[in-house]
Parts: sequence; structure tokens; C-alpha cells
Amino acid sequence: MPLDTSAYNLALLRVDGRRWNELRRIHAQIRTQPAADGSSYLEMGHTKVMCVVTGPSESGARRVGTTGGAAAGALGSGGGGSRDGDAEVVVSVVLAGFSSVDRKRRGRNDKGILELQSTISSALSSSLHTHLYPRSTISISLHVLSQDGSLLAALLNAATLACIDAGIAMTDYVAACTAGSTSTYAANDEKADPLLDMNHQEEQELPGLTVATLGQSDRVIVLVCESRVQVSRLEGMLAVGVDGCKQVRDIMDKVVREKGRRMLEEGAIEKGVGLEDMDLD
Amino acid sequence: MASTQTLLSPAELAYLHSSLSLTPPIRPDGRSSTQFRPLVAETGILPGTNGSARICFADGTEAIVGVKAEVERTKSALTTTEDETVHRLEGEFVEGLAGAGGNSAGNIDEEDNDGLEGQNEWVELSVEIPGYRDDDSGTVFLSALLTEALLADGNLTKKLRINTRFHWKLYLDILLISPPLSYPLPLLSLTTHLALLSTRLPRLKSEGDEDPFFDDDWAAAPYLYPRENGTSGKATLRPPISLLVMAVGNNIIFDPAKEELAVADVALAVSIGDGKDNNSNAMDTDTRNLRLLSVRTIDPPSRLTPPGVPNATNTAYGAAAGTTAQKQPEARAAESEAVEGVWKPPRGGAKPLVMAALVQKVLEKGGVTDEVLDALDAVELE
Repeated sequence: MPLDTSAYNLALLRVDGRRWNELRRIHAQIRTQPAADGSSYLEMGHTKVMCVVTGPSESGARRVGTTGGAAAGALGSGGGGSRDGDAEVVVSVVLAGFSSVDRKRRGRNDKGILELQSTISSALSSSLHTHLYPRSTISISLHVLSQDGSLLAALLNAATLACIDAGIAMTDYVAACTAGSTSTYAANDEKADPLLDMNHQEEQELPGLTVATLGQSDRVIVLVCESRVQVSRLEGMLAVGVDGCKQVRDIMDKVVREKGRRMLEEGAIEKGVGLEDMDLD
Repeated sequence: MASTQTLLSPAELAYLHSSLSLTPPIRPDGRSSTQFRPLVAETGILPGTNGSARICFADGTEAIVGVKAEVERTKSALTTTEDETVHRLEGEFVEGLAGAGGNSAGNIDEEDNDGLEGQNEWVELSVEIPGYRDDDSGTVFLSALLTEALLADGNLTKKLRINTRFHWKLYLDILLISPPLSYPLPLLSLTTHLALLSTRLPRLKSEGDEDPFFDDDWAAAPYLYPRENGTSGKATLRPPISLLVMAVGNNIIFDPAKEELAVADVALAVSIGDGKDNNSNAMDTDTRNLRLLSVRTIDPPSRLTPPGVPNATNTAYGAAAGTTAQKQPEARAAESEAVEGVWKPPRGGAKPLVMAALVQKVLEKGGVTDEVLDALDAVELE
């Protein structure tokens, strides 16, 4: 289905009625799973992701064991922290068969999934303090329940939230978001608007990139662009994307603080030293 | 999967085994022998699927099942070579034509015509367990077990028929979200049951053998398992469930936890169908008609546990040390006689009497299966 690009120029509204700089609804929860070390659930529009973190745990048994080791090797891709002294971040992404509109079965060696896994793994191991957990494994398993664009961004955000829930020391939030650009013809190239947070339909038609930043800084730690785009537009897209990441970071921060406040109120955790005067708005 | 090792010492295993073989058995979590773990269930969680369900057990294991249906062209009779099959399909064709007059899709479901059979390939089931490959023997065994139960009575595939040329292909994707803390069969089976109950297929508008054409009003879509009064009420015919039952000594224990399974003498996966079959009277809706669909033995992890060493043969307690036996203490212990209070992994198969008792207990009227189905009835559908 071709995207009706002329409509955008008339009202400056996108197919789902957003303006160029608007995010879709982001809804997140942490500690969704009592049995796991850390867990989260994240919705970005209609993209729905669940994440379960196990660890940091001893990695020896898995690598030495015959079946377990093979499974770990095939499913997860250890990106960063492969040095012996650091924790290894193993990510496995499962795209549920029912997640897209048409059911598509993707094998475990699907190249797209492998790339997602290694991107997430290297992004997180640069933010997590892996040196604090020597010779251990942090295994992150992500389940995609529904896909509607911005998949990598949603996976990164969900993994960040689950790692926070698991209490793994980390530098800051890894907040991710996508940005695109409206299609134009060469004559009015300067009129092309950058778009924030693309949905599936826009991803199919328009050039786009996924960007992740570290907390509120402008430090970009993931930048994935798989489509052709004019160099002149890249700067605008990146600026919009980084700006979106800050919004996403604020939303995630609110979720974490809200959960923390509720756990304190319920008495699920003890108030730490120096927390009395902390501002728990 | 069944071979998942529990890290329990022989002494702990012996303790568990003896407390489970008391009458009544004392379970580590204080449940009675027929009590299930509490669970939280919801359906219709994924708007992009035809039916979906999620169940969380109290121990934190969680599963999500999504059902998706696609229209597929039925393989024509011309491609099959066996004469018998051709005749059967021709028979079907004639019947289909005869029924084409007044039948809409709604009452194809109600037809219990023997000619309108489905094929097993119309249902595809996949199980995803984190940390295990999809071709891991445990995963394959689980999905085979669940598929077998679904297809056993042929009721499900019969419902997927659209006309002689087209059918629905049903894809069931079962995701275990949490790491497998206990043998996940009951969890996956109950979740699949609920997902199938909440499954709806678009209402057929075309008639007979035309190319299928559907109503785009989702509110009018009938349930795959039709309800008593239209869209609400209980389902008259329900998808099967598989329960995990184990025996320790003469005790039969339902829904074993991981530690309990580690000392099981026998573990069985029993699949039960519910609802009227073709012969019984359809009026009788108050009492369930439980039918045994399939039974599978599951290799309990207890067989792989190390045996305990009785004091009588333990050199540390002053037993005479044999020279050959000294080199292989485990092999010697395995051959030794059963000593009270010393763990010895179960050997050999199940006693026929225990097996019969197990199956009978599952099928008992007003028993555990009824309880489970009543509990599932209480789950609000969408």
C-alpha cells in the first residue's frame, strides 16, 4: 500500500494523525514477573515487547554443559564484554509468530534477528558496568508480541528497563527512538520534514534510522540506518531522533521512579540510608 | 526438558520421597495431593491475533499463546493417489454440494457429519522456550504432546473446514516467557486451552464452494468453540487439556513442582477431552463427559539422580572396604538393596495398578479435572 505522501504536505499530519515531532504512546511497566531477576513490558504504539533478565549469574555451567552450552551459543550472541574479567551480555530475541499481520515464521538463525541481538548486546554492555560482575553472564531474553515499526528501539528500551529492575549497575538509561524523513522529489528537497518515531507503514516507505543515546547526554551509542537517504537530510533526522531519545528517557525514568515509590509505600523494600530526605515526588 | 537437573542431595531426595509417600502425603509447599498451584489468567490480550491468552502461575512462570488463522486452499483430490482417499474426498464433495443450499458457516460448526473431516496438517503448533533451541528434544516432545492432544478427537480440525476447496490453517504459537522453573506442560496446555476458547474466526458470507468471502465486522465473528447462547455463556465443547500427574509410592500427586518431580516414581502427561461426543445425548450439559485422549509417560528427572550410600556399605562408617567396589562407589550403591531412609533412584517402569489408578483419578467425576475446568470456566473471555 503506497503511502499517500501528498496528504502530508496538505495538513502536515502523518498517516496515524501525528505531527512530525510527536512520539506514539509509550506505556511501560517494570517488575512484571516475580520469578525473574528483572523484567519489563514496553509498548511503543502497537509494538509490544516483553523482557526478562536473568543474572548476573555464573556462566561456567552453561558453557561447559553439552546441551545448555550449545543452546546458549546458538541463541544468544555475546557481543561486548567477552574478555574474561567482564560479565558477558547474552541477548536472545524471539519474534512471536503472531506478532506481525501476516504470520511469518523466522528461524533461529535468521540474520535479521542475529543482528538485532548483537546490536542490543553491544549497546547494553557499553552502558552496564560489566567489570563489576567478573566471569558471569547477564542473559536478556526479549519476546516480541506485536510489531508495528521501531522494533529495535522498543527492544533496547525494554532491555534497559529490565536491567534496571534486575539491579545491575549501569551508567545511565539507554533510550532509543527512530527518526525518518518525508519523501520528496529533488526539486523541493529542502522541504523534507524529519519525522519522529516511525510506525511500520512509514518504515516500509520512507528512509529512517534508529538512534539510542545514553541518558540525557547527547552521546549516541547506537545508530542504525538501513535505508538510502540523502546526506543533507541525515543531520536533521539525527537531531530529531536524539531529541526523541530524551523524551523516551524521561518517560522511562518516570516509570522507574513511580515503581520505586510504590514499592517503598507498600513496604516491599526497606528505605535505604539517606533516602528519608530524598524527593520522591 | 524432563532431564532438567535439580540440585538436591541424596539425603534431601530421600526426605522428600518419604514425606510424599506418607498417607496423606506432605508436600513441600503444603498443598493437598490434588491441589493445583494458584494461577492468574487472562484472555484476548493481543488484538492482532484471532485468540490469545496469558497465564501466570504463582511460582512466577508465565506463558503467552497466540492463535492466528489463515485461509488456505485444500489439497485437491486429484493430487492424492490412493483410490480410497479419492473416494472419500468425492463423497465429501457430494455432501458439500448437498449441504450448500442453506448452510452458512455458522452451522458448519454444529454439523457432526462424519464426512466433513479435517486434516491434521491444518493445525500447526510451535513452542518457544527461552534458553532452549526449537529443535531441542524437550521442546519437540512438548509440542508433539500438545499437538497430539489437540488432534486426538478430530473435533478441532473439523471446525476449520470452510468448504470443499478451502480451509482455515490454524497457527498456535506458544511462548514461555519465564525460564522453565518446573516442567511447563500444565502451564502451556492450560494457556493453549484458554487461547483456543477465545479464538474467533470471521463470519463466512459466501455460500457453498464459492471462493470464501468474509464479513468484515469482527463483532459478528463466531467463536471457534461456540458458546451456549450466541456470544456469551460457556462453551459447549471445549478444547482438550493435558495435566501432569505423578506417583510416589502409592500416592498420586497432581501438578507437581520441580522438587516433587525430582523424586517421582512415575510421571504421566494425561490429555483429557471434554464435552459431548458424537454418540452421547447433546441435551446433557450439566455433567461433563470427560474422555481420555492420550497418555504419555514422561521421563522423570529422578532417574538421573545420584543414589545415597547406606551406612552399612559406607567405609567412612566402618564398613569393610572391598577392593573393586572401592573404585566405583556409585556403581556399587546402585546395585545395593533398598535401605529405609536412603535414596535410591527408581528403576524400571510403572506398576500397571498405579497407572490405572492414575488415569482413573484424572477421569473421576467431580475430581481434579472438573475442578480445573470449572476454574477455567470462570476466566472471563475478552
